[in-house]
Amino acid sequence: MTELHFSDVQRDCLQELVNVAMGQASDKLARYLGTFVHLQVPSIALVEATLLSQHFANRYQQQSATLVSLGFFGDQGLRGETIMLYQLANAGVIARLLGYSDDAVSEAEMLTDISSVLTTTFLSGLAEQLENSFSYAAPRILSSRDQYFADKLAYTAEQWQLALQVDIRYQLTDYSFNCDMILLIPGEAVLRLRQTLDNILAEF
Amino acid sequence: MQLDWLLQPLLTQLNTGVLVLDAQYRVVFFNQFIARRAELDLAKVQGNLLEDVFADLPIAWLKRKLDSVLHLQVPAFSSWEQRQYIIKLAHLRPLSSDSQYMAQNCSMLPLTAPDGVSRYICLLIEDATDAYVYQQQLQQSVMQLEHANRTDGLTGVYNRRYWQQQLGYEIQRAGRYQHPLSLLLFDLDKFKDINDQYGHQGGDFVLVELSRLIGSLLRDTDLFGRYGGEEFGVILPDTGMTGALQVANRICDTVARHKMLYNQQTLKATISIGVVSYFDQSIDELIRRADTALYCAKRQGRNRAVVYQPELEGYLKKVK
Repeated sequence: MTELHFSDVQRDCLQELVNVAMGQASDKLARYLGTFVHLQVPSIALVEATLLSQHFANRYQQQSATLVSLGFFGDQGLRGETIMLYQLANAGVIARLLGYSDDAVSEAEMLTDISSVLTTTFLSGLAEQLENSFSYAAPRILSSRDQYFADKLAYTAEQWQLALQVDIRYQLTDYSFNCDMILLIPGEAVLRLRQTLDNILAEF
Repeated sequence: MQLDWLLQPLLTQLNTGVLVLDAQYRVVFFNQFIARRAELDLAKVQGNLLEDVFADLPIAWLKRKLDSVLHLQVPAFSSWEQRQYIIKLAHLRPLSSDSQYMAQNCSMLPLTAPDGVSRYICLLIEDATDAYVYQQQLQQSVMQLEHANRTDGLTGVYNRRYWQQQLGYEIQRAGRYQHPLSLLLFDLDKFKDINDQYGHQGGDFVLVELSRLIGSLLRDTDLFGRYGGEEFGVILPDTGMTGALQVANRICDTVARHKMLYNQQTLKATISIGVVSYFDQSIDELIRRADTALYCAKRQGRNRAVVYQPELEGYLKKVK
């Protein structure tokens, strides 16, 4: 596991890139949604994938949560999967945010829509920062209305060596909701990511 | 090596629909996949608005998706599981699918022309009809399995496992909401004689016939199950002692009056019923009490319903 760890400099560099990508995403989303979007500077943490499920099980205790997964693939072997976690209570807020009201839309569709908007907007910014570009798989709901989502998360996380945990809080002028995003990155892609970070650091 | 020539044959042969729109959602291009399945000629509709080219589009929904692609320059997706199809296209499983239209997975991708300014959207449409058909079959199988898993093979009423599980739920519900709940346990009188006289097939015939008859006397919410052999149970939600006894007497009388025709012979049967109402007992205790009342009904001469009372316990001891 040790060879997958990041040095402090690498970690700071990644945090900075995430900040920039998040800032761009926030700007784009505000324009698109026609409301002021504030994305707090996210705190990132690199955690072993096996520890993730317990962390989120505690945070979403006693609440029905939904997990939406979206895979991404870049050049030079950089790839991974994002998982968005929502409280189901937020579904109504999300619906208003996306302007769903004029036609019948399932909750599942609403959640996959908002997930793909939020994650791809952020990820395409991040890809740009990493001088890469991503293609995306369609979002999938891993679990919904399920108190035992921690098991599902544990099962998904098992397949990945390292998880970049990005806590995002979305605040909008008229609406407020928060959700969590987790970036799961497999071992060999972590090595690629580190190499890219070293290249960026060398340019300064 | 010059590879431009590849593009046209690939787009023509591709087993995926490719539809390109401009920023005003006018049709710029679609490949053969779409042309053939929608019976359209690109030259005739090129430059027309999307909704004028394809009939019955979920246009408000689709435009919201396309807006996000255009403004955020990120892809959007649609899955057949949430929306079976976007564009009405024929599929290649006309016989095995119950749907007239192709189930579709769709990716909507942002494109920018070489001028760096003009924005377009590319819709990639994949045929998911096979997955749709498999899922329909799977759902049907699951439903059949669920039905088989809770049904008694001979009589078609609930089997003991499922019935007892439901009794547990009804007890919880009655306890939580303070609703009345009653239970009938009944047994065919002298079933052994029927079996001896008419054979086991005759006995089975009587079980099936009476299950059907009694089932027709119950409400949709009552739960009728085979407890074992010739013993059956009926859970009566929202029913107190008086109502339960009425139901039990009605069942008793109807069964006793019912004539069954088996192998040109007329058969009659009677049943004995134990009736009990729920007051905070455990499921085992509730069944035991119903059993006690049923036993007393038998002792008192059969073809009757007996309501459980604590005094019956003493009666039981005396006759034993």
